[in-house]
Amino acid sequence: MERLGLCLRNLGRHGWRTRIIVFIAFFGAFLTFVFENLVEDIAVKQSDMFARGTAGHFRIVHRDVETRNSFGYYYCEPADMLQPGQIESLKAYLAAQPEVSGCEERIVFFGVLYGAQDEEHGFAAMAMDLERFDRNFTDLFYARGRPVTRGQPDVCAASWYDYEENKTVAVGSSYVMLLPSPDGGYVDRLVTVQGGIDFKSLPRENLGFGGLYFDLEAFRSMAGYSRASATEVIGFLKDARSEKAVLARLRGFLAEQHPDLQVVSWRYYAPIFGEIVVGFSVALRFVEAVLLAICILLVVKLTSFAVLERYGEIGTMRAIGFGRADIVFQFALEGFLAITAGVAAGFAAGAALIAVLHRTGIANSLTFFQYVIGRGFYPSFHPPKILRAAAVFLAVAVLAPLFPALAGGRLPIVRALERR
Amino acid sequence: MNGIHVTALSKNYQLGKTVVHALRDVSLELESGSFACIAGPSGSGKTTLLNLIGLVDEPTSGSIRIGEQDVRALGEAARTRYRSRHLGFIFQSFNLLPVLTVFENVRLPLLLHRELSAREKQERVEELVEAVGLADHARHKPFELSGGQRQRVAIARALVTHPKLVLADEPTANLDTETGTEVLDLMQRIHRQQRTSFLFSTHDPRIMERAGRIIRLRDGRVEAA
Repeated sequence: MERLGLCLRNLGRHGWRTRIIVFIAFFGAFLTFVFENLVEDIAVKQSDMFARGTAGHFRIVHRDVETRNSFGYYYCEPADMLQPGQIESLKAYLAAQPEVSGCEERIVFFGVLYGAQDEEHGFAAMAMDLERFDRNFTDLFYARGRPVTRGQPDVCAASWYDYEENKTVAVGSSYVMLLPSPDGGYVDRLVTVQGGIDFKSLPRENLGFGGLYFDLEAFRSMAGYSRASATEVIGFLKDARSEKAVLARLRGFLAEQHPDLQVVSWRYYAPIFGEIVVGFSVALRFVEAVLLAICILLVVKLTSFAVLERYGEIGTMRAIGFGRADIVFQFALEGFLAITAGVAAGFAAGAALIAVLHRTGIANSLTFFQYVIGRGFYPSFHPPKILRAAAVFLAVAVLAPLFPALAGGRLPIVRALERR
Repeated sequence: MNGIHVTALSKNYQLGKTVVHALRDVSLELESGSFACIAGPSGSGKTTLLNLIGLVDEPTSGSIRIGEQDVRALGEAARTRYRSRHLGFIFQSFNLLPVLTVFENVRLPLLLHRELSAREKQERVEELVEAVGLADHARHKPFELSGGQRQRVAIARALVTHPKLVLADEPTANLDTETGTEVLDLMQRIHRQQRTSFLFSTHDPRIMERAGRIIRLRDGRVEAA
């Protein structure tokens, strides 16, 4: 306790220097805390949610269907659709897997709309009621369309502006839409909305969040599919980290039972979301590393100044019987206390901010990002991230002042006494 | 302690290409319980000799024996422990810790004496602060004290561990004559009461007169002992 008291008084004595160290630690800890909990939340959770929400953690489709970078909307010949027997077999297998939280068959739009000669099959397009978009993707309309003149960018742009201005799609209304063509390009279509299908929320325990699916039977009925066929069966994992193990097992099952089918990870059909996760993580680590490096360098420099200023004191303490280790401990403890105080305050401020944002949410008014991640974020605490950040700062608090403290401890007594 | 035995002690410093002979072949004996003074002009080697006897510096050659202990044979940790147990230091510039009060400065060396209870430490410090006449200033910081008062704090700090030998490097050099005399009176009184050995350096003839024995140094050599 006496040592602690001495340290605290020395910290008070180096007023501005102590305040700088505390502020640096505070700033670094605050940003790290917010990064870890907010940006991490946005980057990882939201990207992952979107990818999973679009087509689950993985999808099982026909081998001939190419899904790479398709964002969940791929081209599928009617002949490549999954048949009722296959769907039942896959669903039964997935239901028996302990890591799988749910599965269902789906019909993917867009690609399935066109045949080899650019002929429409069943229905021609989809549109969403953007006004009600954030209500769990409530309504989906389907429409029949007719080709308009190719290569008119204004027409495409007009469709986007139309969404921007009206934010609604009503039955009977017509829109120009850009739709994928089987030859790999895109075609402009004037579509007229002819009907709607309700989306319903999946139970939270199935997706991990309020997700979406559509009423497949109603859709089949409206689109004229009498057989219970689908373009894919998708699966959700209880924990995304089990993906590799589950997919390896699933591939074995498919090779044996359904050799014409393949399983595809969301990271394959929507790689940009995986890249976003990696990109944010790298950016996050970089910013944190820079902050830490600045923090360490400044702490080392400022503690070195403290050692330099207190040469005489070191000499006196050594002369009256304090050992080298005592001197090292003294300066290291002072640095540790200053950094720890700053980090604790930074974490507290970060926690307060995250708690407030968790309650109020962060509004997202950008239309495109609304489509990707909804209208707002509700960041939450990530205990493992907080613990990791705390461990890193603890290491900094211990190690950063140690170098100058060791220099102080190594000082020859006579030389230290000469400097007052 | 059965006295200090210094034999053929030399200390050289390397300053660039020049070798400075701070002490040359110094031999002397000092009895236990003595009140001795190392006298000599500036640069004669007084501080160097005190530093070597106080184990804060290492000689180039020669030996130092304090009692039966050949202190040159001690390792770094043992020397540190020896200083904390058996030696007390008083510095010309007082060398008090500015963040600590009078009471805490005196108590500082006892941080290393874990064998003493908190109560024993408290009693020792109170007794010494009283003895040096600073009981009323116990809660004051060094900057609130005069030079003489600061040196009295340093004396109390040097004595709080009950050392065998107190080494004082020009303890009155930064004080006016009257205060210097008071400080020396205090040292002498404690020496008589506690039979603590004192070895101090000075170049002031009036201070030398008070010593029981004078060791005169000149150019790093003992001129008269």
